[in-house]
Amino acid sequence: MTTQPCAVVGIGQTKHKKRRDDVSLPGLVREAAQRALDDAALTWTDIDAVVLGKAPDPFEGVMMPELSMADALGANGKPIMRVHTAGSVGGSTAIVATHLIETGRHDRVLTVAYEKQAEGNAQWGLAGGRSGGMGAGGIFAPWMRSYIAKSGAPEHVGWQVAVKDRQNALKNPYAHLQLKDISIEKVKESPMLWEPVHFLESCPSSDGACAMVLTNEDGAKRAPKAPAWVLATAMRSELGTFPGRDPVRPQAGVECAHMLYDAAGITNPREQIDVAEIYVPFSWYEPMWLEGHDIAAPGEGWKMTDTGATEISGDFPVNASGGVLSSNPIGASGMLRFAEAALQVRGEAGEHQVEGATVGMGHAYGGAAQYFAMWIVGSTLDAVANKI
Amino acid sequence: MTKGTEPVEGMDYFMQLEYHELLCPVVRRYAEALRAGKLIGHRCPKCGLVYAPPRGYCPIDVIETTDADEVQLADRGVVTNYTVVTPVQYYGQEETEPFAKVSIQLDDPGGALSLQDVLEVPVDQVRVGMRVEAVWAPPKERDTGEIGNRSFGSAAGAIRGWRPTGEPDLPADQIMQAAF
Amino acid sequence: MGTVPEIAIIGYAQSPSWRRAELTEPQFLFPVISDAIERAGIERRDIGFTCAGSCDYLSGQTFAFVMNLEAVGAWPPISESHVEMDGAWALYEAWVRLQHGDVDTALAFGSGKSSPGTPAEIYPLQMDPYTLTPLGIDPVSIAALQARAMLDRNLITEHEMAAIAARSRAAAKGNPYAQVSGDFDVDALLAEPYVTAPLRKHDLPPISDGATAVVLATAAKAKEVCEHPVWIRGIDHRIEIHQPGMRDLTESPSTRLAGEHAGVGEGKVDAAELSASFTHQEKILRNELGLGDDVEINPSGGALAANPMMAVGLSRFAEAARQIAEHGKHRVVAHATSGQALQQNLVAVLEA
Repeated sequence: MTTQPCAVVGIGQTKHKKRRDDVSLPGLVREAAQRALDDAALTWTDIDAVVLGKAPDPFEGVMMPELSMADALGANGKPIMRVHTAGSVGGSTAIVATHLIETGRHDRVLTVAYEKQAEGNAQWGLAGGRSGGMGAGGIFAPWMRSYIAKSGAPEHVGWQVAVKDRQNALKNPYAHLQLKDISIEKVKESPMLWEPVHFLESCPSSDGACAMVLTNEDGAKRAPKAPAWVLATAMRSELGTFPGRDPVRPQAGVECAHMLYDAAGITNPREQIDVAEIYVPFSWYEPMWLEGHDIAAPGEGWKMTDTGATEISGDFPVNASGGVLSSNPIGASGMLRFAEAALQVRGEAGEHQVEGATVGMGHAYGGAAQYFAMWIVGSTLDAVANKI
Repeated sequence: MTKGTEPVEGMDYFMQLEYHELLCPVVRRYAEALRAGKLIGHRCPKCGLVYAPPRGYCPIDVIETTDADEVQLADRGVVTNYTVVTPVQYYGQEETEPFAKVSIQLDDPGGALSLQDVLEVPVDQVRVGMRVEAVWAPPKERDTGEIGNRSFGSAAGAIRGWRPTGEPDLPADQIMQAAF
Repeated sequence: MGTVPEIAIIGYAQSPSWRRAELTEPQFLFPVISDAIERAGIERRDIGFTCAGSCDYLSGQTFAFVMNLEAVGAWPPISESHVEMDGAWALYEAWVRLQHGDVDTALAFGSGKSSPGTPAEIYPLQMDPYTLTPLGIDPVSIAALQARAMLDRNLITEHEMAAIAARSRAAAKGNPYAQVSGDFDVDALLAEPYVTAPLRKHDLPPISDGATAVVLATAAKAKEVCEHPVWIRGIDHRIEIHQPGMRDLTESPSTRLAGEHAGVGEGKVDAAELSASFTHQEKILRNELGLGDDVEINPSGGALAANPMMAVGLSRFAEAARQIAEHGKHRVVAHATSGQALQQNLVAVLEA
């Protein structure tokens, strides 16, 4: 059994906002999906299968929404699946959809990920429905503290990430946060949420959706625009809690990255990846994942941030879209990272385009930093080979 | 009827779901021990790791652990990591002031507890390396009614929190700075 | 799309179905997974991909599936995923994954505890949130509407429904994992009061806790380790319109479509394990899959005998595989369903 290449020929997302009161749940999802279909010059009837992803159902109070949204997703008479892998779900959903093309199971797959968390109460949901919850950041804050202590990174690095991503978001009309006056001082002075993480170093809570249309080589030839080719995907998970676990540099993250690089033929990620969309919901996770996925050596990740290497103008731009720090509809965030990387290598990222990007990385993580989903996309099938 | 320029109206829908789950034997035993003033864990017979509290299995070797693997844990240890949470007022939240949650590496035979409360120390003085001991509720006041299958190491109702022992801090580089 | 990939079931295991399990889900799941792996004749580390099926609302906890990872053996790290669906769809995802050719063995499992919650409270949340959930429309009521439609059109009789229940419970006597079993007189069953007319207690599934695990392998691996691999000759799943008022509840076009794409009609079917959790649904499924009177339906007792939600569909695969590997059948259909009144259906053809 061999596989065939998968092409991303349509990408769509919603305007992400704290509350999308103007659309229902199906309306939110269709906004992204319709944009992806339009981008691909396809219609609902062209789609063979749908793969839906989102985070826990209690965030909206709808159980197994693929059932009640089957009609809205044009899925009547078609296969539809719903993936749920915590925060990495947007990424793993895209990977499941990719597999359906690569194995020749279907010719055209629509994949959608969303969260309409203003419908419920995400803080309550993340607290497991109880008082005294740690919130999303409370679990990660001690690990960020560990990173800072071990690496000796100066405290301003976190603030730099917070500023960079929000300034990038100003170039992304879909991004939720549009903080024109963001600055290091503002971040530093914002209230502490989970010591040492300040409010402005933390992701917002957003309503939003992201969708992609995936197809094979035949479909790519017929698409109106150049596709982004999926050059490699990888998923890796580990136990979240056990005595002796290193949650700061999780082994599953290291393995996922190396599986990805091997599959893509990447031998030097720092040099050969032009643009990265990395799941950074709290500022310090930028240097932590740069190291955690061996893009920077241990202890060196924060220097990439500090020297400006991760700016759009730098040599390893991270989160040109504004990232999770600027938009976080939880279920969609992983797919947004994957989609934004694809937009970049198609040259379709508009104002936040990284010049000449041909190889992009999308990344998502979830749970207790235990679930990882990653992909490499290229403007051509030999985009990586051309770098070597 | 207007042409769709009216805002979409929302509909509040509160639902209450109750789940009643039987306490599994290993949690019942854990709670019983807490009421008797003991912290217990299981040591895996294969890899020797100590699980505090006990889970009834070792997830690394994927084997069952039983009462035969029970170990009494120290109720003293050292803070390996922490955060101070500024509470968000979500539905059901009862906290109003910033509170610290710490991870504690227990003295021999080992075991680690996370998300523990600290007592008798201002939140801004909580630090890695601080030696702590459990503050037990008096026997008659111990109530483990809040402990469920998914309490994940809570000693709520029996151990009120952990207070500094006053001993010198363990140097930070001697302890693994992770939550677990 | 070209040749059918050669993928087989090489191991399977189930927990008993309990009305109220004393163990937690990870605690009763891990021996099921270990058992399936052992029966498959492989090492845990041989598994190249794992996929789980479970449901947060069933468990009463957001991110509930995370704890189940402890039952898998996820250290050192593994490649795995999760669907918020019955384990049968986890099997489907694993089946797709194996076609890449880089891994040759996969594990799929489903698990759930229905006992802690109240189904009549939880399942309305599975319906359209704007028009149906506020009505509190629960699974038994929808099934009752469906049964009423069948009765009114003379597509079934209450006697036939009771006979299906009696046959299923009798068959379940031979199933050590079943929850409801025994010899029941049809007339005695019909003398019982309605629970929700026209459904009586025997027309309903039990409330069950349980788990099922299945191990899949590609051809070379299957032939290497397994004496009786059970080949998946076809598998497909489809969904139909959600709104019950827009469907003809006496039919299940998604089952028909899935069955056609899975190739059910391409050969003689010896037996079928169907996820009919209400007696009348068995008849709908038989009609849509073209299963005549010569087909043995639910030798395990089916979902009427044991209904561990999120595992029950995958249990049909385990039982269908058992019919082939242990009882000499040649070609058996396995069916899983999701949603109310057979809205979404997965059909597979298994062969010796």
